[in-house]
Amino acid sequence: MKIVKAVLSGFFALVLVIVLNTKFGDIPPLAKFLDPFQGFWKNAEGKKQNPEKELNIEGLNGPVEIRFDDQMIPHIFADNNHDLYFAQGYITAKDRLWQMDFQTRFASGRLSEVVGPKALELDRYQRRMGMTFGAENMVKAMMDDPEIKITMDAYTAGVNAYIHSLKPGDYPFEFKLLNYAPEDWQPLNSALLLKLMSATLAGGSNEFYMNNILNKYGPEITKNLFPDYPFREDPIIPVGTKWDFDPIKVPEVPELSPSNKTAYTIKTREIEEGIGSNNWAVGGQKSASGFPILANDPHLDLTLPSIWYQIQLASSDMNSCGVSIPGAPGIIIGFNQDVAWGVTNVGADVLDWYNIKFKDESKKEYWYNNKWNPVKLRIETIKVTGGTTLTDTVMYTHHGPVVYTSQQRPDNFSKINNIPTGHALRWVAHDGSNDTRTFYMLNRAKNYADYRKALTYYSAPAQNFIFASAENDIAITPNGYLPLKWRGQGKFLLDGTDPANDWQGRIPAEQNPTVKNPSRNFVSSANQFPNDPSYPYYINWEYSGYERSHRINKRLSVMTQANIDSLQNLQNDNYSILAENIMPTLISLVDPDNLNASEREGFNIVNKWNKFFDAGEIGASIFELWHKNLAIQIWQDDFGDPKTPMRFPSRDRNVEMLLNEPDAVWYDNIKTAKKETRSDVVNAAFKFAIDSLQRKYGPIDKDWAWGNLKHTNVPHLAKIAGFGSKFLNNGGSKTSVNAVSESNGPSWRMIVALGKNVKAYGVFPGGESGNPGSHYYDDMVDTWSEGKLNELVFLKTKDEKSERIISTWKFSKK
Amino acid sequence: MLFLLIAVISLILQLFLPWWIIAPIAFGLAAWKASSGKNAFGSAFFAIFLIWIVAGLIHTIPNENILANRVGTMLNLPENSINWTIVLLLTGIIGGLASGFSALAGFFAKEAIGAKAEIKKL
Repeated sequence: MKIVKAVLSGFFALVLVIVLNTKFGDIPPLAKFLDPFQGFWKNAEGKKQNPEKELNIEGLNGPVEIRFDDQMIPHIFADNNHDLYFAQGYITAKDRLWQMDFQTRFASGRLSEVVGPKALELDRYQRRMGMTFGAENMVKAMMDDPEIKITMDAYTAGVNAYIHSLKPGDYPFEFKLLNYAPEDWQPLNSALLLKLMSATLAGGSNEFYMNNILNKYGPEITKNLFPDYPFREDPIIPVGTKWDFDPIKVPEVPELSPSNKTAYTIKTREIEEGIGSNNWAVGGQKSASGFPILANDPHLDLTLPSIWYQIQLASSDMNSCGVSIPGAPGIIIGFNQDVAWGVTNVGADVLDWYNIKFKDESKKEYWYNNKWNPVKLRIETIKVTGGTTLTDTVMYTHHGPVVYTSQQRPDNFSKINNIPTGHALRWVAHDGSNDTRTFYMLNRAKNYADYRKALTYYSAPAQNFIFASAENDIAITPNGYLPLKWRGQGKFLLDGTDPANDWQGRIPAEQNPTVKNPSRNFVSSANQFPNDPSYPYYINWEYSGYERSHRINKRLSVMTQANIDSLQNLQNDNYSILAENIMPTLISLVDPDNLNASEREGFNIVNKWNKFFDAGEIGASIFELWHKNLAIQIWQDDFGDPKTPMRFPSRDRNVEMLLNEPDAVWYDNIKTAKKETRSDVVNAAFKFAIDSLQRKYGPIDKDWAWGNLKHTNVPHLAKIAGFGSKFLNNGGSKTSVNAVSESNGPSWRMIVALGKNVKAYGVFPGGESGNPGSHYYDDMVDTWSEGKLNELVFLKTKDEKSERIISTWKFSKK
Repeated sequence: MLFLLIAVISLILQLFLPWWIIAPIAFGLAAWKASSGKNAFGSAFFAIFLIWIVAGLIHTIPNENILANRVGTMLNLPENSINWTIVLLLTGIIGGLASGFSALAGFFAKEAIGAKAEIKKL
């Protein structure tokens, strides 16, 4: 009896210990996770920092000093570039190791290794899109450049020096939650993170929709509703700027022929309209100081840990400050004593789909240039938690990977349904490129010539590089590898058998649109058209709406004596040019006699609304739902057939029609017997807006306010509940300069005033630390939400006194 | 006595070793010192409950409970500034249970070996 008791209780205790040490699905190993000695409690950091710390680190050539300011932003001082980038890697890993690991896994299709089979199709998708293929090509290009090789190797060694200093109890919180260990960093990981930017900013496409539209409505209507230049535009390069070069020959437009006459029952990842970035620089003639001031706010999907990592880097040949990508060396957006630079997305068409004609079912050869060509195979090996390993074969043509053939396309995965079966992907992100050199040179730039030189190395994702210098130059250049195409090439699916459809090289880098010191004394961009139709080359047929850029240009043209405050005010501008343009027409079409009590109350509010998307405005909520539903009322019946997926005409085309084409056929809902007019749809959409707000929030009161409806928050990168920000009650909209939406917005706001002593301000919606148990995880969120900026600490020398420095770390070589 | 022994030895060894070291410690010490099943389980449970809660407090107080509150929200507790206490309690209970059942097994093992020895004597 006693033996049975002993065996049973021993067995029970053993099983209990094993269970508490094992991960089940999403539940972490409970006791291992909760253990206060090695588990998550250990990641709870106190606010107080040690004022001094000394470390001996293997791999350094000399001493490095790192001074942390009151937001724990590191200011790194090294004697040489190797030690500088080594320390950048080390310190970035200290704050952001899990984010670096997770984003690399996401990019390269290696999430299943840590989260299990639920990520399998996502992994497969990332691999089939050629993310690692592109990153490998990038590593080759970087390693061919001796200075960049030193940079990459040093950064990698620094990250690894930090990883090797960790015991399991020191691992970042998320490693403990997901129960895995960090692995060694390699240059490929940095390349993957840079490619991820291309996937985010230049990874969407519209051509399937456009193809279906062309098939259904023919070329005339397609051209009318989807024109190659908008009704209203205010291009980046001011109209009238002379193109100061002899253009090379542009390819002829072949006969318009969509590659396939059958409709595709697929959805692509539609191009995200209005990611919402802005930048501008005013010249000395416009500023109070007499020196240029530069402002930039790149918009992205917001996450915690933050997208950006703020840093100052100083060595023998540079001293630069700004934000970096956690996982990649150098500073992406920033300034030094002499210059400042920033970026917004161009939205060039650098992703095209080619229909592939295979010889037979074996798919070993494809027809191109009047002969059969061999398909190359790339085998992808995917590991899944629990020890399973899967392989996936991807066929590569000279265009790029055939992302899915009909046999390879699984069902029930929305992201995968989006790919056109049997089409090869030609994407600039697959090409080898040395973009890191651009930032390496910008970090060290002293003048306009250095800026121009740096830009020639940049490939993707194409960015509007804005520039200002203490020598009183301002400039902007929509820049990157812009393929040389015939006009309209890639607006529709392309026939992959005809060499005339290939990219014909690139627009020469120095002929990318650019402008220096224009007569209006400012330069700006907000993702709109880079150029007016006089530019000799084709870049894309559609960009973000003109509203934000127009507002920026309007305000900057009348601005005098500009200073930090006036530019900060412009960054926070919630005024909507869209509302200004269409409200008078919409209001005039509403039939007041046909409204019930709450509709009438809503109508009075929206009628009196000042067109600012401020947090407290009820009119803004009504307008937003009204104009959005209006587009649905007009286009859903014509372009909403789920069997033949299409997209709606642009907001710009919609506005043009509402204002200038009162009798257009499109107002009629073809699914009803009645013939609807413009006024019918405007009234119906208005009633819909009031009705949906009422259903959501009850009778009209402060709950209807825009900040509440928009409901901005910053979620955790892996969407773990409790690890994002709280609800942030702020203003802004997609058609305002301050383009904030639910969880997309300015990922970094920066203003730099150049002069004898450069002064800079900035903020991002998060904190420097990636540890959710740190006070510095989200300490900047409120400042950001309120539209305020922090003065950035920029130390001219290692020994410069600053009251804001709270801790100094000294590294010495081992 | 058993309580104190388990607490002190677990505390020291946990500084270097993974959490599950508390199981063999409780097993061994209970086999050696426990007077009854109740005494084994109770001493071991409260020893680890106590040291885990105190260790948790040492981490979470300077942190102003930011992390533990976030973990509470993740575990579907209502979002507020005191749910860290529930996470801490849970921590103590989980550690206590692992230790307590190990001690119980240790005590029963001793009993079984003791019984076997007595049978042999007869």
